[in-house]
Amino acid sequence: MSIFVTVPTLLRTFTQDQKRIEVQGQTVLDVIEYMEKQYPGVKERLIGDGQVHRFVNIYVNDDDIRFVDNLATVLKAGDSLTILPAVAGG
Amino acid sequence: MSRLLQGCSLSGCFEQVPVGFAALAASLRYQATTLGLEHRPSYGDPLACGLGFSFHHPDLSPIEGMIHGWPDGSAHGVTEHTVQAACGLMSVHGRASGKAQGLGLDYVSTLSASLALQGALAAALGQLRGGRFNHVSSSLGAAGVLGIGQYLAGATAADEAERLLPGATCSKNRPPFVSADGVHFELETLDAEPWRRFWAAVGIDAEQAGQGWKAFLLRYAKAVAPMPMVLRQALARLSMARINALCALSGMAVCPLRSLAERRADEDLPGQLKQGPWAFDGGVTDGRTLSALTSGELPLNGLTVIESCRRIQGPLAGHLLAMLGAEVLRIELPGGDPLRAMPPCVEGVSVRFDALNRLKQVRELDIKSVAGREELYERVRHADVFLHNWAPGKAAQLALDRADLARINPGLVYAYAGGWGHDRPGESLPGTDFVVQAWSGVGEQIGQASGTPGGSLFTVLDVLGGVVAAQGVTAALVHRALSGQAVRVDSSLLGAANLLCAQSLQDADQPQASLLKGVYPTQSGLLAIDCQTPAQFEQLRRILALDSQTTAQRLDAVLGSALLSQAAQTWQQLLDAAAIPACVVVEDLSQLDQDRRLKPCLSLNAYTSVNAHWSFR
Repeated sequence: MSIFVTVPTLLRTFTQDQKRIEVQGQTVLDVIEYMEKQYPGVKERLIGDGQVHRFVNIYVNDDDIRFVDNLATVLKAGDSLTILPAVAGG
Repeated sequence: MSRLLQGCSLSGCFEQVPVGFAALAASLRYQATTLGLEHRPSYGDPLACGLGFSFHHPDLSPIEGMIHGWPDGSAHGVTEHTVQAACGLMSVHGRASGKAQGLGLDYVSTLSASLALQGALAAALGQLRGGRFNHVSSSLGAAGVLGIGQYLAGATAADEAERLLPGATCSKNRPPFVSADGVHFELETLDAEPWRRFWAAVGIDAEQAGQGWKAFLLRYAKAVAPMPMVLRQALARLSMARINALCALSGMAVCPLRSLAERRADEDLPGQLKQGPWAFDGGVTDGRTLSALTSGELPLNGLTVIESCRRIQGPLAGHLLAMLGAEVLRIELPGGDPLRAMPPCVEGVSVRFDALNRLKQVRELDIKSVAGREELYERVRHADVFLHNWAPGKAAQLALDRADLARINPGLVYAYAGGWGHDRPGESLPGTDFVVQAWSGVGEQIGQASGTPGGSLFTVLDVLGGVVAAQGVTAALVHRALSGQAVRVDSSLLGAANLLCAQSLQDADQPQASLLKGVYPTQSGLLAIDCQTPAQFEQLRRILALDSQTTAQRLDAVLGSALLSQAAQTWQQLLDAAAIPACVVVEDLSQLDQDRRLKPCLSLNAYTSVNAHWSFR
């Protein structure tokens, strides 16, 4: 099942500068594990202790996964996953 | 400790200043007093193109300061209101307040006064280190542009530039919120989880709460927060008591919007106003002098600042010190500051991030690890300044508090750019821009002037707080150079808020500076007008052929229709020629570089960046 990931600038060093990659997975965590296999080092930039880092936001289409099922959020074919830094506080 | 810079003085004619410079002069004088500078009156030329002052100390040649109206050295049409129009501040504030309009506070004047004094202090430091810095000039216009530098970067990025115009988002569906019993309040949390729990308790579904969180996070980056309407509607059905209870249960911070009158009645205020926006605490006098200048270009060349700061206030402070020549080393967590990836990006770096950090060196370091801390200690040993903006208590937890670092480097200037400051009056709440705006009365003032329920989503206090922090560090370095004594300097968003409202907090019956002030549509574009003298007002009536019998109530409408006959740019020229303060309101930030008055302070690269604020000779 193909999912498309928009890769943030900081992770493009792992993806050989690709902005958008095609990955596989049933859930967000699956996708991250899949990415880790293809592009080692990505996972620890996104999650630690089984949770998404506080300063990272992951959206499935337009929805923040923290308000769905976090890393267990279920994906369907063609979904688009966007990773963005979170800015809270000034 | 007693006032930091005793023995120094500032002379200038601050009572009789050119039209449009009064608020700047008042803030300059207030800030100088709180730093310990003795005031020496002198005669000035009220028709001059700016505000002149000079800084004196027995060991130094006098330092002549000049604050121009515009970066090109001119002063036509300069007032707080017209500068906010021309530098894009009205545009940024307008993104979430419904239309391009001013903040209703002497914001650029305060910012400019703080920067000008910082420039003079830097020049003094440069002289004490063997350089020749006898003149420093800056401008109100450049201060305004500096204030919106991050937003300008976002709007002018070569790739994926943001296009957010005034009125881009609804001025109602944004924080602050209002309860059923009519209390306006800000919500704040730095994590999604309390937000999710809170809205679930209010009865909002997760999808809407998630959309709200996304909008909530946009505040700090883009000055907008387009919330789903149901969030606001749901809170409008609950009493404030109920909302407070739900916040307590979910871990969400809540801060009712307080008035300036309430702030005036706070017990801590008189002390804070007397102290100014900084708390200085002297340390040991180790007799060591600061290194001498080896290259004479900038007064802080050769000084090292270590900065461990995130987001806006702290990084801006470091950026200003770098603009003065300091070598700023930014400590970032392993992998780099996540905000480096905040779009829009050019050449792999967020332009908004770059706007505040492009002049710094970076070292990625895990300061929570023993090895990381050891390396930081080693670097601090050879540094002149350590600057951080961590949450309260974290410095002690990390063994990186003042005492920890003083053991390694007794002469270090230790600076903390925090939220609530030394006296910590609001510390039970997160010390973030919008909460401090609400608590301090700044939010109420802006809301009243803007026809909105609360403060600006432009980060009013983060920016002023950053400038104030850098100014405090520069003052501490001057003190260090004069006395050999190390200093800790605390500054805060609340201190910045107090400074911004200092005149109104000290005197509730401040006279209104303007006889007529507004933003008006014209045949093409918006025009900001600010008549400050009866002569200007009469001249405007004559040019627009307004009936002298027109009542004050009808004046705005009559004026509005008279201005529809020409384009804003034409009116600006016409009114300029008649010495009436008027400026085209810049609505699209990407047009800012078209203003020849502002060109000297801008560089056009992969995005439009703001040049160093000061010019020394």
